[in-house]
Amino acid sequence: MKLTKTISALFLSLVLLIGSLGQANAAKRLHAAIADWTGGIITCEVAVAILEREYGYKVKQTVFPSGTGLWEAIAAGELDFACESWPSYAEADSVMLNEDLIYEGKVVGSYSGDGSVDLLGTSGIIGLSDYWIPRYAAEKFGIKTWKDLNKHKKEFATIETGNRGRLIGCPVAGWNCHDQKRLDLLGIDFQADELGTEAAAIAEAKAAYMRKEPFMLYLWSPHWFFGEFDMVGVQLPEHAVCDPDTFTEAGNWKDCGTKGWPATGWAKDYTMNYGNPAVFAKAEHADAKKFFENMSLQNIDQAKMLVEVDIKKRDVKEVVAEWLDNNPDKWKPWLK
Amino acid sequence: MSNSSEIIGKSNQSKNIIIYSIIGVVFLIALWLSSQSDGPSKFPKVVTDEFTFTAWVNEGEDFLKKNYRWITKIIASYIKACYYFVEDFLLESPWLLIAAIFFLPCIIAGGLKLGLYSLFVVYFWGATGMWEPSLQTVALMGLSVLLCVFFGFILGVLCSQSDRFENFMKPVLDTMQVMPAFVYLFPALFFFGIGGAPAILATMIYAMPPIIRLTNTGIRQVPAQTIESATSFGSNKLQLLFKIKIPLSLPSIMMGINQVIMMALALVVLACFIGAEGIGGQVWQAIRRLDVGWAMEGGLCILFMAIMFDRFSSAFSKTEERLPSDAQKFYLLPQEWSKYQLARILEKPLMTAHNIIKYICVFTTNLIAYFIKLLISIFNKIFAEDISEYISKRYYIIPSFIVCLIIVAVDTYFIKIGSFPEEWRLSIRQPITNAVESLTVNPGFIAFTKSLRAFVYLNLLRPLDTFLTHIPWWYTMAVFVALGYITVGIRFAIITALLLSFIGACGIWSHSMITLSSVLVSVAICFAIGVPLGIIASYNERFRNIQNVVLDAMQTLPYFCYLIPVLMFFGGGIVSAVLATVIYSIPPIIRLTSLGLTQVSGTYSEVSRSFGGTLIQTLNKVKFPLAVPSLVIGFNQTVIMAFAMQIVTPLIGGKGLGLEVFNGLARSDTGRGLAAGIGIVLLAIIIDRITLAYTKKQRQALGL
Repeated sequence: MKLTKTISALFLSLVLLIGSLGQANAAKRLHAAIADWTGGIITCEVAVAILEREYGYKVKQTVFPSGTGLWEAIAAGELDFACESWPSYAEADSVMLNEDLIYEGKVVGSYSGDGSVDLLGTSGIIGLSDYWIPRYAAEKFGIKTWKDLNKHKKEFATIETGNRGRLIGCPVAGWNCHDQKRLDLLGIDFQADELGTEAAAIAEAKAAYMRKEPFMLYLWSPHWFFGEFDMVGVQLPEHAVCDPDTFTEAGNWKDCGTKGWPATGWAKDYTMNYGNPAVFAKAEHADAKKFFENMSLQNIDQAKMLVEVDIKKRDVKEVVAEWLDNNPDKWKPWLK
Repeated sequence: MSNSSEIIGKSNQSKNIIIYSIIGVVFLIALWLSSQSDGPSKFPKVVTDEFTFTAWVNEGEDFLKKNYRWITKIIASYIKACYYFVEDFLLESPWLLIAAIFFLPCIIAGGLKLGLYSLFVVYFWGATGMWEPSLQTVALMGLSVLLCVFFGFILGVLCSQSDRFENFMKPVLDTMQVMPAFVYLFPALFFFGIGGAPAILATMIYAMPPIIRLTNTGIRQVPAQTIESATSFGSNKLQLLFKIKIPLSLPSIMMGINQVIMMALALVVLACFIGAEGIGGQVWQAIRRLDVGWAMEGGLCILFMAIMFDRFSSAFSKTEERLPSDAQKFYLLPQEWSKYQLARILEKPLMTAHNIIKYICVFTTNLIAYFIKLLISIFNKIFAEDISEYISKRYYIIPSFIVCLIIVAVDTYFIKIGSFPEEWRLSIRQPITNAVESLTVNPGFIAFTKSLRAFVYLNLLRPLDTFLTHIPWWYTMAVFVALGYITVGIRFAIITALLLSFIGACGIWSHSMITLSSVLVSVAICFAIGVPLGIIASYNERFRNIQNVVLDAMQTLPYFCYLIPVLMFFGGGIVSAVLATVIYSIPPIIRLTSLGLTQVSGTYSEVSRSFGGTLIQTLNKVKFPLAVPSLVIGFNQTVIMAFAMQIVTPLIGGKGLGLEVFNGLARSDTGRGLAAGIGIVLLAIIIDRITLAYTKKQRQALGL
């Protein structure tokens, strides 16, 4: 028995040795975090594909659910860069970044954290959030804006919410969406439910849509959901920046109104790419750093690819490669 | 004799009345108290403000991060190097070699049936397009099992040698098993980096307890006579341990390894949250895209893999190695089928092929053994004899080597075999997705789910939630302490008081009451569904066999897989959370009910029937009372599993302590997550101990 085991072990290790021969090639390497939502995956895949095609990189990719762990991992040097962070959802950005966020030459956000993470530039994608209802519900009840919601709140109610309507809210508490506060401020008699994950919220919405039931959903665009289902926004008030001198979270949010607070960067969200400062300070990665500064993927392009990936169920790499082949005029300028 | 039992019966009856009335009074007071309070009960602010456990943990973590990270980094880099080595090997080898590596050991240990099954599993990985993730999962699991077995074995031996060490390890092992993996998964990330290394270490925490326990009990159960005779022949303590005790406890240890493999597989799936690759990542991506079929395919990959490893490890521990066709005639299909022409036609060529392979194997082995003998006999004749005998007895080693070498040689020098061929793809995604979607829009089914949701929410969850959160904390605590005192003893009562005050002082009292209420509701539903199923299974063997397969699948399938269908049918929220918990934690209660009832020896039920007892009477008056210990163990396991599930339910809208863990982790607040995690563990441990003590009394009362 013992000898058998020794021999089996020897056998296995021999096989391992044979197998491990014939690897080893040196290229410039980076380690990217791939987001776990399709939009983020596409943005990252565009960046990775260009780095590999044009600069001869070999990029190792790790799927990493977004959240604080990701920022910590980049600060610790475990990962080299990540794509498309939505500033309104990340608390880490204000703690870890120490730079201005510039979009088309304009400063759209500034941070004064400890600088343990490097802001590489905007990804180009600008997020738009709203509360959405399916078109069939909007037409049936004649809902045009959020002001009409209260009249039909009973249609949107569930067992759990009783008389009030139900909003399938922003799923993760850590995202700081403050749905319930916003609803209360606007006087919408709805209850926001946090379902814990985007998947949960979308799953419920999808099922409800298939059954043609009325529902209201918090969602951001670009998102594949809009490619498959016909949704209408309730047109919440536009975002405006609050006066930082008078604004405090505790008392003044009412003065600032729904425009600046809840501070989700409500209407516009300039998303960004970020990386490890030590890695991108190296001379060998100067090209990559320059590329990230210039990169600017447009919403419409991402949305097109989203449809290909999520609705036609095609492979992300294939879709991105096709886009790169067909639209060199869009991404060649980023290489300057 | 009969007289005395009558008296006992009577005193028992009056005792029962007293107990029930006490329970009634306690409950009524609780009801009154909870209706009096106008908000959820809160621990005194003075205590919660002073007891800043969260902050202490975070400070401690910062300190550790600053000062000891270099050590953890070194450990991580070793593990990572090992992991990359195995992973690269698996991913870059030609697929035929991988298939051979799984197929050959399986056919050797478990015969042709297991061999063919392993080929099916490998094919399934490739066919569903999960070749790479599957192999990554295998690599992660393999390494963690290796480390678990190594350290677990050492710790187990230590436990068996020292009672004091065993007593110290027992609560540690309990905690390791019940503590939600998410609680240490993320801190592991900060210390050990991302990807393979922290995943392997976290898996070790989760999967090591069984091997420690089973090594310990295996060694302790070695019969005293054997030990005595060994000592009388003059073996010293070490000899006794290594020559007698450990070899004799090997079956128990192998069972431990088997369990370690299963648990490691379960956790490796979760490790996708800290950047470990593998099937877990695939399933999670599928869920993000609401692709039920894809998620199910990933789940099946894991399920088949688990069955393969399970069968392999149990076959390996049972049989001596032999060539599969040694076992007389070979039957792939059930033996009775051989009367059918078709079955014979199918099996005949397989049998012939088998014999030819056997012949070739034996021939080459003997040939090579002969040459080796010639070669070695130049130096040492006796050794040469031994070696050649050894080799020619084991037909499989040399042919396996040769097969692998041929594959590698062909791959490197002739044709690149590469990864699994794309053309062999076969997907079952679409049918599964379609089935779920058609159910989603089926009006009858949705009416059913809606009414179920309404019933569970309005009649069970909401009342119990308000009830439990509104009872003053001191009253709940007093009830628990009293229960602990009655069932276990004064020491446990004090411990219960301390543990509950910890929960209160951390400021998570109302969260923990919500968790308690979801667990209670889930367990009640499990009971209502599980016990009848168990009863049916105990009467009908065919039903039992089918049910066992389904339960096995339910326990091995990653719970991610069924979250999406639950959401689509029931919508997000606490009801879905409860239902997911029920699906996850119902197997033990069904299994142990049917086990308990079938174990009641036939004579008892015969006697009852001969006295004219009807089926129901027999069940009610004879079988159930005798099966109570088994039932309570089932109940106990269901409760523990329901608690464990609380950490996952926030993904679909669950509330309570699980949500606290998630919120803590989302904000990088380890202390908050840890406090809530400990809360879950403590509640589980208190309930576990009380129910176990209850069965002990029952068992004694029944004289079992």
